[in-house]
Amino acid sequence: MAAPEVHLLFHHPIADHSFSGDRSLLAVARDNNVELYKRTGNKFNLKDELKGHDKTVTSVDIAPNSGKIVTCSQDRNAYVWEPSPEGWKPTLVILRINRAATFVRWSPSEGKFAVGSGARVVAICYFEEEDNWWVSKHLKKPIRSTVTTLAWHPNSVLLAAGSTDSHTRVFSSFIKGIDEKPELSVWGERLPFNTVCGEYLNNAGGWVHSCAFSPSGNVLAFTGHDSSVTVVYPSGPEQPPSAIVNISTQLLPFCSLIWNGENEIIAGGYDCEAYRLQGDESGWQLAGSLESKGRASGGVQDESALNMFRQMDLRGKIQNDTQLKTVHQNTISTVRVYEGSGSTLGKCSTSGVDGRVVIWTV
Amino acid sequence: MTTTNWRTINVDALDPESSYNFDLSTLTPQLAPVSTSSIQQLGNQVRQQLRSGDAEGALRVALSNPPYGAAAGEGGKDAHLATVVECLQSVKLADVGRVLERVYQGPGGVECLDVLVKYLYKGMAQSTSSTTTNSRPASSQGPGFSQIQARTSVEGGGQAMSVLLSWHEKVIEIAGQGAIIRVMTDRRTV
Repeated sequence: MAAPEVHLLFHHPIADHSFSGDRSLLAVARDNNVELYKRTGNKFNLKDELKGHDKTVTSVDIAPNSGKIVTCSQDRNAYVWEPSPEGWKPTLVILRINRAATFVRWSPSEGKFAVGSGARVVAICYFEEEDNWWVSKHLKKPIRSTVTTLAWHPNSVLLAAGSTDSHTRVFSSFIKGIDEKPELSVWGERLPFNTVCGEYLNNAGGWVHSCAFSPSGNVLAFTGHDSSVTVVYPSGPEQPPSAIVNISTQLLPFCSLIWNGENEIIAGGYDCEAYRLQGDESGWQLAGSLESKGRASGGVQDESALNMFRQMDLRGKIQNDTQLKTVHQNTISTVRVYEGSGSTLGKCSTSGVDGRVVIWTV
Repeated sequence: MTTTNWRTINVDALDPESSYNFDLSTLTPQLAPVSTSSIQQLGNQVRQQLRSGDAEGALRVALSNPPYGAAAGEGGKDAHLATVVECLQSVKLADVGRVLERVYQGPGGVECLDVLVKYLYKGMAQSTSSTTTNSRPASSQGPGFSQIQARTSVEGGGQAMSVLLSWHEKVIEIAGQGAIIRVMTDRRTV
């Protein structure tokens, strides 16, 4: 397994990160701005800044094909940024929300995007050609609290939303004229806007940090603040799921998760380390860390006697105990697909509170 | 004309969209009501197992059936706490790790240990509050008597606390920090 590629961008929390389709551009949400980094060789150099939000930017997403960037912020706004000869040009999106926007993701079709918010709604935004304007439609019922996370189904119609009311719900975000009629799936057949296709709660009722559809879109996984991951296998429309598997871990909660194939999940969170979970409908278990243990001990540098006495002499202590043995030195807030073809994942990227973006070979 | 103090109006009550007008308990898992008699019955069953020397089995039974939805208020829940603490005290300190390991490996083990952590914290909260309530009325009585009573209750609480603390240490060794997080998050209280 190749060593992870570590990029320490700055000493400041990264709320969210996103790579462009060709992975040459990296967008990072830092405070009120989004910073764009360009890859040159093995390094990422600051190239541009997207300024426009006047409160903390909570989420950023680059559409892989069109290259458009969408950002959302606690100032209740979202912008779509398009490249132009004079630099990045922002377009304001009419979200109609009265609380912070918390999370944004492009749909796989890139024709629309979803914004989660503290106003207990998910705004589904799409471009109105006539008015040259991004407008939104709200998914409202039955969300009872802040939407913390969203995940698109591959068909761009179904959307999973995790909320602090500890439920993860699967909605239809079908918009006439934008979406094609989705094929029949386990989640349902006729899917008018705001159809609730599923509503799931974990055992302890912890608020949801992250959710994701499996590559086929037929399985949903979500993780909450009760340090558990729940995997839902739906059996068909209007029917109870054929299996709900809950894995309670010994670890601190996960903040973000992605699928690798249909039988593996990669999740990272407050333990500053990314973990693998493996299993199927009959059961799941934690299958260890993404970090190879040999490398992890690299945090404890050479243990020579000379070094030990020098440390004792200089600092009055034997070991440098201010460093974690993990690659990330603080909570991992986002795990994303970096490179992958359809069903399997080649590489994934993580970013966290320590200002690092790390690319892992899975 | 009547003057209304507009500032005291609860605006949330007037907003049909507000969570004030929404029963949030409908979002949490439904808890089946448990009658006090069934809690006592369970307690008796556990005590019987304890008498026959099967502390591990007794603990497992006590932890698999926590009365989350106890109907008779907190009284029923307290009765079950006493049952669990009895189980804990009947296990020798040297055996704690082994017993926990076996409960953890068994069916529903993770859930069992989460419930145990809940009871440990509840027990800690109670043993401190009971010492304070006991010592307060005692101080108003004669000096000699009050001192003795206060001391015995503190010692009793301290002993119970040390049992709970040593169990806590062992549980966290096995179930990890995840168990603490789950107990803090869980809405099903014991």
